[in-house]
Amino acid sequence: MSDNGSVGKWRRGRSVAPRVDRLRAINLPRRAIVELDAEGRPVALELRGKGEGGRGKGPPHSLPVEFVGETWRIDDEWWRRPIARRYVEVMLDGGGRVMLYEDLITGEWWVQTP
Amino acid sequence: MSRVLTSDHAVCVWIPLFPLRLEEARRPELGTRPLALLDPHDGRRVWQVSPLARRAGVRPGMTIGQAIGLCPPLMLCEPDPVTYDERFAGLVAALGDVSPVVEPAELGRAFVGTDGLERLYGGPEAQLAVISSVVEEWGKREGGRGKGNAGWLYPSPFPLPASPRLGWARGKFPAWVAATRAEPGDAVIVRSGEEQRFLASQSIAVLPLDADTHRRLWQLGLRTLGALAALPEDAIVAQFGRAGRRLWRLAAGRIAEPVIGRPAPQPIGAAVDFPAPIADRLMLAHTLERLVARALASPRRTGWRVQVVRARAALEHGASWMTEVTLKDPSADRDRIAAPLKVRLEQAPPAGAVERLTVEFLAFTPGTTELQLFARDAASAARAGRRRALHAAAQEIKTRFHRPLLHHVVEVQPWSRLPERRYALIDLEP
Repeated sequence: MSDNGSVGKWRRGRSVAPRVDRLRAINLPRRAIVELDAEGRPVALELRGKGEGGRGKGPPHSLPVEFVGETWRIDDEWWRRPIARRYVEVMLDGGGRVMLYEDLITGEWWVQTP
Repeated sequence: MSRVLTSDHAVCVWIPLFPLRLEEARRPELGTRPLALLDPHDGRRVWQVSPLARRAGVRPGMTIGQAIGLCPPLMLCEPDPVTYDERFAGLVAALGDVSPVVEPAELGRAFVGTDGLERLYGGPEAQLAVISSVVEEWGKREGGRGKGNAGWLYPSPFPLPASPRLGWARGKFPAWVAATRAEPGDAVIVRSGEEQRFLASQSIAVLPLDADTHRRLWQLGLRTLGALAALPEDAIVAQFGRAGRRLWRLAAGRIAEPVIGRPAPQPIGAAVDFPAPIADRLMLAHTLERLVARALASPRRTGWRVQVVRARAALEHGASWMTEVTLKDPSADRDRIAAPLKVRLEQAPPAGAVERLTVEFLAFTPGTTELQLFARDAASAARAGRRRALHAAAQEIKTRFHRPLLHHVVEVQPWSRLPERRYALIDLEP
């Protein structure tokens, strides 16, 4: 399973062990194209559709960012395949609160519900 | 727990309009007039209709007003369900002398398992001859019993058994269809391997369908089982779900449902005699609850949930009342078993005061794996019911779309800082 969709071991509490091959991760990030200003803050967001890697249906559409809120960083799993993300909370023009993150290793932008 | 006996080969013994024929037998003057029996559960509607009345346009389920309007000389008859049931139980017991595997299907229709009988009696023709003679003997014996519950004298010999229709085949459904094709007092044999050819020309009306499904098949231009079986199985499943799969396989002769002998334990009953006849419904409902609780306490019931429950009452002046309920969710809970009986009591109460009230558990399902058996409160019973309903829906969806579309949300790493690692979906597998 890919990095974004991988799952770990099961916690106790279920009498019958679920079949791991049928697991589907929830809240996978969606690929996005983000236009940045000079300070590296998002000013517009273009979604490519649903699915990891930008796969999805429908044409891409651009949405201007009206407000940039909190920003935080996650660094994890440095011992095997490092993950480094910069999350940014933005409010889109016309409403809509979206969480974006920049993959600091590949430089790609993604949309994800925290 | 005793072993359930089954048989792949079956003889269907069918006496059409069994209750109506009983009434005609005990009152021969009715045989020359259009006759209809009233519905035991809804006294405003007719239940069974004689051929003369049917010729005049009367159909089962019509209101009395509609029936009389169509056929003014129609004779309406109060049903006597206890007697019908006793007579049919006698027939089933008699068939038990031929084979240990006997499965009653409805009043007047029973299946006899014939696996292994060839070494005892011979081929299908010989088996049918034995069964026919047993039915005839039963009729003479019943005719000699004299008075029925209502005090009428039965004529002797009893005229019913002379005209059972018999069908021999592998599987209950072909045997039933064969019986419907037989002349009264005769038999039709469908030998192994000939089921598909035999079924292909039969009308779809022989399938166990509800009215809506029958109408839809008819609208699709399907008139025979052969036409239905010629369609791809998946197409029928897509239209009619799991029920459609069973219908298609029955029509194509792909499944041979075995005769299943009466499962253990034997029926459990509890009864009470009232010192003075009771007509008060509240009192009767309360008594029903007490009787259900008493029957549940029987040690023979341990490990089994009740699937079919019957209440019957002996009324003043020799009349009777009976109602039978098949529980969609078999239960070992007093209130869940008593509830449908009380509803029936309200909807179709006894026509007179009750002298004796009896509750019987007639069929059971194993109950050791069910939460409901141990449920002591309504909430847990309701949860169990909801779970079963959900699983049934999931099974239906999976059958129709070939993949499960319902999922559980399960915790994977709820502590993870990466949102996609916290939860996952897993197929909901009943």
